[in-house]
Amino acid sequence: MKTNSMIKMVSVLLGLIMLVTGCKINTEDKSTGQDKVITDDTAIDETQNDDEKESDKEQEKTIKEQVVNLYTDRHYDTDEALYNKFTEETGIQVNIVKGKSDELIERLVMEDADTHADLLITADAGRLHRAKTKGLLQTVENDALLKNVPVNLRDNDNQWFALTVRARVIVYAKDRIDPTELSTYADLTQEKWENRILVRSSTNIYNQSLLASFIAIGGEEKAKEWAKGIVGNMARKPQGNDRAQATAVVAGEGDLAIMNTYYIGKMLNSSDVEEVNVAEQVGIFFPDQDGQGTHINVSGMGLTKHSKHSENAIKLMKFLTGELAQEQYANANYEYPVNVNVEPSALLKSWGDFKAQDIDLSLLGEYNSKATRLFNEVDWQ
Amino acid sequence: MTRLRNLKANINIWWLLSTCFVCLIIIPNMSIFINIFNAPNDHFRHIQKYLLKNYLSNTTILMMGAGLLSIAIGVSLAWVVTMFDFPMKRFFRWALVLPLTIPTYIGAYTYHGLLNYTGLVQRFLRNQLGLQVNQVYFNMMSINGAIFIFTIFLYPYVFIITKSFLEKQSASLIETSRLLGKSHFVIFIKVILPICRGAIIGGTSLVVLEVLNDYGVANYYGIPTFSIAIFKTWFGMGDLDTVVKLSAILMLIIFVLLYVEKLLRGRKRYSYTTSKIQPLQPLKLNGWKKHLAMVVCILIFTLGFFIPLLQLIYWMAISYKNNVNIQVLKLSSTSFLVAFVTASIIIVIATIIANYSRISKGLLSKIYGRITVLGYSIPGAVIAIGVMIFFIGLDRTLYGVYTWFNPTTSKLILTTSIVMLIFAYIIRFLAIGFNPIESGFDKIGKTFHEASRVLGKRMTTTFFKVDMKMIQPAIISGFILIFVDVLKELPLTLLLRPFNFNTLATKTYEYANDEMIHEAAIPSLIIIGIGMLAMLILNKVSTKEVS
Repeated sequence: MKTNSMIKMVSVLLGLIMLVTGCKINTEDKSTGQDKVITDDTAIDETQNDDEKESDKEQEKTIKEQVVNLYTDRHYDTDEALYNKFTEETGIQVNIVKGKSDELIERLVMEDADTHADLLITADAGRLHRAKTKGLLQTVENDALLKNVPVNLRDNDNQWFALTVRARVIVYAKDRIDPTELSTYADLTQEKWENRILVRSSTNIYNQSLLASFIAIGGEEKAKEWAKGIVGNMARKPQGNDRAQATAVVAGEGDLAIMNTYYIGKMLNSSDVEEVNVAEQVGIFFPDQDGQGTHINVSGMGLTKHSKHSENAIKLMKFLTGELAQEQYANANYEYPVNVNVEPSALLKSWGDFKAQDIDLSLLGEYNSKATRLFNEVDWQ
Repeated sequence: MTRLRNLKANINIWWLLSTCFVCLIIIPNMSIFINIFNAPNDHFRHIQKYLLKNYLSNTTILMMGAGLLSIAIGVSLAWVVTMFDFPMKRFFRWALVLPLTIPTYIGAYTYHGLLNYTGLVQRFLRNQLGLQVNQVYFNMMSINGAIFIFTIFLYPYVFIITKSFLEKQSASLIETSRLLGKSHFVIFIKVILPICRGAIIGGTSLVVLEVLNDYGVANYYGIPTFSIAIFKTWFGMGDLDTVVKLSAILMLIIFVLLYVEKLLRGRKRYSYTTSKIQPLQPLKLNGWKKHLAMVVCILIFTLGFFIPLLQLIYWMAISYKNNVNIQVLKLSSTSFLVAFVTASIIIVIATIIANYSRISKGLLSKIYGRITVLGYSIPGAVIAIGVMIFFIGLDRTLYGVYTWFNPTTSKLILTTSIVMLIFAYIIRFLAIGFNPIESGFDKIGKTFHEASRVLGKRMTTTFFKVDMKMIQPAIISGFILIFVDVLKELPLTLLLRPFNFNTLATKTYEYANDEMIHEAAIPSLIIIGIGMLAMLILNKVSTKEVS
C-alpha cells in the first residue's frame, strides 16, 4: 500500500509540473506572436531585472570559465582545427553545437535570454540577416574586427561579419563549350541553351540567395522570368548536390551547371581519382562581368544578443577573421578570404579575378521568402 | 472482497503510469498543434495553389511503391526461410535483416555513388570496356530510385515481424495443410497470408511511416515530398503556422492509415491454444527449387547489404588517410551508450502501456495504444521543436529548485543536457518498442494471465511471473530494433544535442552534407558494424526461443 501512495504522490507532482509548464508554453506562444510589441515591454523589463541580478553572478562565472559556445552549421574538419589552434593560443575552450542553420536559429529564438550560445555561425548571408531581424544578434564595434572585414561584407549595424566568400558561377564542359559563348546569368534563359543547363533544387539556399539577388537588382518580375527561363532550359529535373551537377556536365547530361566554385576546388583535391578527372574537364566562368557582377554569398558569424562570454566570443571573431585563419579557409576549403591582407590560394587565383555583385548582402535574407515563392510559381522543383 | 480491492489498486498503478507517460508524449506535441485552427495565411494558400498536389502525389507514390514492394520481398523471404530447408538458410535467417542497419540516406548516397558517372560501375564500363553509356539507365535520382532505396533498406521490418510470427505461430495450421496434401503455393495464399495479416500490416506500417518521415533521401534525390514541404515552409518561409497546418494534414493521412491498418488487422485473434508451442518442421528443398530459393536470398542480401557495404569499404580505403583524426572510439561509445539507455527506458514504458491497454478493455486504453505511435509519425524536426519548447518551459519552472542547490546555476539545465535528447528519442521510437510488445501480448492471449489471476495471484505478480516470461522474445526484439534506430537517428540529434556532442550518425551526416561522402564511410561502417552485432544477438535469442 505504501508504494502505491508513493507512486500517486510522484505522479501528482509530475502532473503539476506539466500543468505549470503547459501554461508557460501558452503565454510564450502568445508573446512570440503578433502582439509582441505590447506584451514584450513587460517581458523586457523582467528580463532586464533578471539580467542585472544575474550579471554579477555571470561575471564571476566568466572569470572561472574560459569558454566560448558556438552554434554553427559549418561542419568542416578544417574549422575544428582552427578552434583548436585558438584554444592553444588563448586558453579559451570552444564548445560547439553543430546543426542546420535554420534549426539553430529556431533554437536561439526559443532559448531567448537563457541561451548558452555566444556565437552563431552560418553559411549564408540570408540566414544571418534572418537572425538579425529576429533580434538574436548584437552589434560589435571592435576596431580589429572592423578592420579585418570590409564594409561590404558585414552588416550595416555590425551585427554580423563575413568569414568567407563564395561565388556562384557557371561551370561548363571544356570540350563542348567555348567560354566566349557565355556571358550573363540572363543569357542562360536563351533558346540556345535549351536542354543544356544543370542546377540543383530550389530547396537549396544557394539557389534561393541567387534568385534573391536578382530580385534585389532587377525586381520581382525580371527574377521570375529568369527562373522560368532556366526551368525551360533544364537538361533534367533538379537533383543531387553541387558536385553532382559538375559530374553530370562531364557525363554529358547537360553542357553547363550553376554551382559554387569551392566544390570544384574540393573535387580537384578529392581522394577519388575519378572526381579529380571530372573537375579537370570543366571550366569556371564568372558571369555578368560587364554588368552587375557574379553573385557572391558569404558564410559568417554574429555575436548572440544574450551572449554570456562576449569577450571571449569577440576574441574568437577576431581570430577567425585574422590572417592565419583566413589563409586556412582559402587553402583547405577553397573559399575566398574576406580579410584583404590575405591572398587567395594559388588555385583560387588560377580561376582568375572577378567582379562581384555589389548589393547589400542583407537583401538576400530580405528577399528569401519571395525567391522561394517565385521558384514554386515557375515549378523549379 | 480484499481481492477486489487489490485488483482496483493494481489497475490504478498501471493506469497512473500509463497516463503519465502518455501525457509526457502528448504535451510537447500539443505546443505545436495548439494553433492548428488559425485561419490559413498567405503562405498556406500559396502552397495549396502551387505545391500541395505534387507533394501529395509524390508522397503517395513513394508510400505505395515502397510499401507494396516491401510486402512482396519481406513476406516471401520470411516464408522461404521459415518453411524450407536449403543451403545457407541459417545464414540468411539473420543476414536478411541486415539492410536495416544501413540508414536509408546512406544507402541513397552509396547507390548514387556507385552508379553515377564517376562511380565504379560506369568507370569500369568506360575505362576497361571503352563503353560510353546513356546516363538515363544509371540514374538513381528519380522517384523509382527512391522507391528502390526505401524498399531494399526497409523491407526487413516486414521480414522480421512476419518471420517471427510464422516461426512461433503457424506450425499446427501449416502442418495440417501439408498433411491434407495442399501445395506450397496454395498454403502460402490460403493459410500463410491470412494468418500473417496482422504481422505483415504491422511491419508495413513501419515502412510506410518511415517513408513519410524521410527527409534525407527525398532531399538528396530531389523529390518534393510532404516532409520536404514541411521543412521548406518552416525554414524557407519561417512560417510555423503553415508548418502546423501541413503537419496536421500529414497527421490526418497517418490516422487514416492507422485506422485502415486496424480494419485490415480485423478482430481476429490468433493466440496459443496450448501451452506447448510447437516449432515448425521445415521441408527440405531439392533441385531447381533449392537453387531458386538461394538465388532470391542472395540477390536481396547483395542489393540490400553487400553492395552498399563494399561501396563504403571502398570509400573508406581511399579516404582513411584524411580522417584518421576523428575520435572513432569516443563517437562509437557515445552512440552505443545513448542507444542503450534509450532502448531500455522505452522498453519499460512500452511494456507498461501495452500491458495496461491489454488488461483494460476501455476506449481510453485503446487510445493510449494509438498515441504511442504518434511520435513515430510526426516528422523529427517537428518533435524536436515541441520537445524544446517543453523543456525550456520546464527549466524556467524549475529554476527556483536549481538555484536552491546551486545559486550561480544557469537557467537552462535540462535543455542543455542529454536528458532532452533522450526524451525526444523516447517519443520518437516508442512505437518501435510498443508494436512488437503489443503483438507479443496479442499472441500469448489472456489464457495464462487469467489462469494466474484465478489462482489468486495479484496483477503485478502475474505480470512479472507469467506475462513477462512469455513476451521476453518480443521485448528483446523491440529493444534491438530501437537500439539500431537510435544509432541511425538524425534530425532529433542534430537539433537537440548538447554542446560538443557527436554521434556516429551526426558525423556521417556532417560529412555527407558537405559533399564529402568518402569521409563519411568510416562512421557509417561503424554504425553498420554495431547494428550487425545487435542483429546477431537478436538472432541468437530468437533461435534459442524456437529450438
